[in-house]
Amino acid sequence: MSRTRDIRSADSPPAPPASAPDPQRVALLLRPPLLVGAAALGGARVARGIASLFAGTLLRAINRQSERGAVAEQMFNIGNRSLFFVAVTLGFIALVSVFQVCLQLNRVTGDLSKVGLELIKLMVHESAPSLTAMMLATRVGAGIAAEIGSMVVTEQVDALRMSGVDPVSYLILPRFLACLLMTPVLAVFAFGVALGSGTAMAYVAFGVNPSIFVDFSAVTAADVGIGVVKCFCFGAAIPVVSGYCGLTTFGGSEGVGAATTRAVINASLAVLALDLLLTVAGFMLFPPSAA
Amino acid sequence: MTIEFRDLHKSFGAQHVLRGLTMTIERGEVFFIIGTSGVGKSVTIKHLVGLLQPDSGEILVDGKPVHGLAEREYYPLRKRLGMVFQHSTLFDSLTVLDNVALPLRKHQRMRMSAAREAAKERLAVVQMERYADRWPAELSSGMRKRVAIARTLTLEPQYVLFDEPTTGLDPVSARRVDEMIKRLQTLDVTSVVVSHDLTSIFTIADRIAFIYQGQAHIIGTPEQLRAADDPIVQQFISGRSDGPMETPGF
Amino acid sequence: MIARVGDVVIGVTREVGGIGVLMLQVLRALLPWPSMDARELWRNLYRMGVKSLPIILATAFFSGAILVVQSGIFVRRFGAEGLLGWATGYSTFREIGPILIALMFSGRVGSNNTAELGTMTITEQIDGLRALAIDPIRYLIVPRVTAMMVMLFALTVFGDFVAILGGALLGQVVVGVDTSVFWHSLFSNLGTWDLVHGLVKSVFFGLVISLTSCYFGISVRGGAVGVGRAVNASVVASAIGIMVTDCLLTLLMK
Repeated sequence: MSRTRDIRSADSPPAPPASAPDPQRVALLLRPPLLVGAAALGGARVARGIASLFAGTLLRAINRQSERGAVAEQMFNIGNRSLFFVAVTLGFIALVSVFQVCLQLNRVTGDLSKVGLELIKLMVHESAPSLTAMMLATRVGAGIAAEIGSMVVTEQVDALRMSGVDPVSYLILPRFLACLLMTPVLAVFAFGVALGSGTAMAYVAFGVNPSIFVDFSAVTAADVGIGVVKCFCFGAAIPVVSGYCGLTTFGGSEGVGAATTRAVINASLAVLALDLLLTVAGFMLFPPSAA
Repeated sequence: MTIEFRDLHKSFGAQHVLRGLTMTIERGEVFFIIGTSGVGKSVTIKHLVGLLQPDSGEILVDGKPVHGLAEREYYPLRKRLGMVFQHSTLFDSLTVLDNVALPLRKHQRMRMSAAREAAKERLAVVQMERYADRWPAELSSGMRKRVAIARTLTLEPQYVLFDEPTTGLDPVSARRVDEMIKRLQTLDVTSVVVSHDLTSIFTIADRIAFIYQGQAHIIGTPEQLRAADDPIVQQFISGRSDGPMETPGF
Repeated sequence: MIARVGDVVIGVTREVGGIGVLMLQVLRALLPWPSMDARELWRNLYRMGVKSLPIILATAFFSGAILVVQSGIFVRRFGAEGLLGWATGYSTFREIGPILIALMFSGRVGSNNTAELGTMTITEQIDGLRALAIDPIRYLIVPRVTAMMVMLFALTVFGDFVAILGGALLGQVVVGVDTSVFWHSLFSNLGTWDLVHGLVKSVFFGLVISLTSCYFGISVRGGAVGVGRAVNASVVASAIGIMVTDCLLTLLMK
């Protein structure tokens, strides 16, 4: 027995990982309230970290601490990564929503002439920006967190700081500017794809003439304004949230996977929360008038 | 009761790793497969349990061919041929005790409590019963190796394959693992050990195959290996960096 | 450009084929009788379901709230306040609820699953199972697929409920439609089929997410970097899979 103890003290086992849950130790009934409490506390800390990173990034953006080449490279990365993805997902969403709306309207009124008009209005101020941003949160957010996260665990970020380079202006700022500029571009592209597939679905399945379906007359300046503001807000939120998740990576190579997951979830939730906020604000500022 | 390799060839892409390996492992011996890193030692034993398939050549266990089978046909074989991996490969999601109990539950249809009791006995054999409720991440690599050995022995295999059992262990843990391998001989278990740990080689090996350029360069007892007047073998066992040996990648 | 499109097509075909093969293996593992490791199933049900409940509920609340305000715009334009509950419920139950919850589930659970199986693959734990003569498909994949299908279904039920609550709340506060009007409009215009339509979808989304994430997990190559890449690819492929499945199911079920 004493030999076993000797061996144990010779190479003392590493401390248990903080994230290792032990479901058997805590009574199952106690868990949900504990989870909510822990989530609230953790959420507050994360929110503070994200806010300070956002402020820091803005400050550096005003001081122009970024190379144009780096921004252009990130813009290419973002576009290259997500063009196909955004096209496929938004295309299918438009197919389905046109189908569902027409199906229901057929039962109620049978008048499908206004479907395109209303859906295009909805797409401009809501669907195109928010769904594109949801997809970017998945694609680009995960990518940013994985890149920065693996730089953190391989101590490349520490090496940057040792050589006097500020990680925020070197890593976060180019991605921030690139995402800010690319989100509206991709949203417009997504709008085009969705319009195309929606028009096709209306024509093929319900015989709505494309010349009736494609009708921009209901789109007001306020719709376009809300859409653009949403694009910029989402474009700012995604890189900051996922960059924060990447920079706070810990726990070796497995930590990078965890950071990627957190980035996707947090960036998506941020997009949803901002979308609710901006939608309500838009509703209050430009109250819809009767048609 | 032998393992035979006949003219085994295996390539990974452009890398021709095994080039006509031929050797025979006899019942009850501690057989070492040695050589420099990347020479195909681990690749060789992974062929035995069907984790890899040869490009050409034959592998016979007890006279029956064991290459080119379907995955399910390997299961009876793998119960007779246990394998201890280099990094122990304990399952992260199970405690030490449940790691050892898993094969018992799966193959002997034991109930959870019975399997745990049996697993405790196995852990006692490798002096790890005090750590039964720990998670694998909380153990040192030496302790993990001992648990892995206990887990492999639960199925009472006739052959146990060890992939670099002492690599990455401190000298004390390494010698304890060596003792465990040697003790298996008393249970009529044949051990095939892949290693480049010179201390293990010259303390517990019965016979040794030195792999060089994809072939068994020399096979013999430790004494024969020491006495061999082959410059390549002498360079390996004296650990000199200069010599006639060609080491790809360096 | 054409070469890139070709690469994409070849890549997509290979992944879809791999996922299809995995599905066949899962089905085969259910023969001759469907049995699976109860502990592994229970562990996965717990960590996939209970652990993602807060995120799913938050998502559901947001989506219900956004939908009600969006519907509010049309309701005001056409002066049809009595239709608010119907419009919100219809879009929540049939489309937005199941899709958004599935997307978040894929981001949380699917990516975790890929990372876990990927780590097991590169640390040879899968080979470890095979060397112990335990079928990794039956032991690891079948419980995960089952757990994800069950849990996504259950979470969608909860999520639909919370989304409607969020919708009713914001309908009262922002749009100014009384909750009693909202409930009346919801219950009198929507049938069980609208709810079932979405829940059936959620089961299939669970299947798609689980097979995709397991496939990318067990086919990881290239060490720790490979795990990161697989997680990324798995989330993206799951999202595309969800959209395509949704389209097919919508056309099939009407």
